[in-house]
Amino acid sequence: MSLVVGDVVDEVAFTVEEGKVGEFARATAALDPVHSDSEAAATAGFTALAATPTHVVVSGHHRDQRAMVAHLGLALERVMVGGVRWRYHRPLVVGDRLRGTRRLVADEQVGGRSGRPPMRRLTLETAFVDAEGATAVEWQETVLERGR
Amino acid sequence: MTSRRARAVSVGDSIPERELGPISQTDIVRFAGAGGDFNPLHHDAAFAEKAGFDTVIAMGQMQAGMLASWLTDWCGVEYLRELEVRFLAPVRLGALLRLTGAVTGWADLDGTPVAELELRASVGSADVVRGVARIAAVSANGRSAPSPDDGR
Repeated sequence: MSLVVGDVVDEVAFTVEEGKVGEFARATAALDPVHSDSEAAATAGFTALAATPTHVVVSGHHRDQRAMVAHLGLALERVMVGGVRWRYHRPLVVGDRLRGTRRLVADEQVGGRSGRPPMRRLTLETAFVDAEGATAVEWQETVLERGR
Repeated sequence: MTSRRARAVSVGDSIPERELGPISQTDIVRFAGAGGDFNPLHHDAAFAEKAGFDTVIAMGQMQAGMLASWLTDWCGVEYLRELEVRFLAPVRLGALLRLTGAVTGWADLDGTPVAELELRASVGSADVVRGVARIAAVSANGRSAPSPDDGR
């Protein structure tokens, strides 16, 4: 299988879990107690413990990165993430049920000047939609494959 | 949305700096476990060597997540609207990360004024991550809807 621009790369569905919010907050050195203390979150006006801003990265647990790399025809040892972009429509809280659909939105050759091999640049976009069907967070990843 | 207020900011305001590290293999493994990124580049030294690195390197999402959490510790996670980061250099074991950022201007996002910030994570004198964020905020000079000319 080989994916082309516009194709769905993968889909994930998961719930924002309290333990995972805590793990991710610790792993990213977040200090705001709204991520760790239910009372602090309630005092701040959240309906439940708030997730940290890049929490949807935990979808990595529900994705098959090796399959993605194979479907995109990439050599894992030459793959780097070039950048990420996030758009927030609302903060995520514990209990949110999300479905994330990742699409390939661009596949380009870049660089290749001054005798260096060109790089392949892929742009992937995931929209995380909540149980009500509203998009909560959008995540764009730029993946680079260095030339041989 | 919440009972916390949006931060009052002016162009030129800095976010209090944060220093993290030295980044250890434990930090990287903790992030791998939290996020589910098991690319061997981040925990398998032999694989990292094959990929051309002298040691394992952190996943970009780790430093991006640290930068994002530092930002929202300051502005409130419910006020972050956009964050874009570029990875300029790998973060190696032992790196001492310094996070800095400042308000650079105001912009309009879907009809609402947002403050724009430039953020960076650096190791020594080299930037490893550069970012741009947009947050819902109010102008510290007393106007609720700052003119788009502010900061130009």
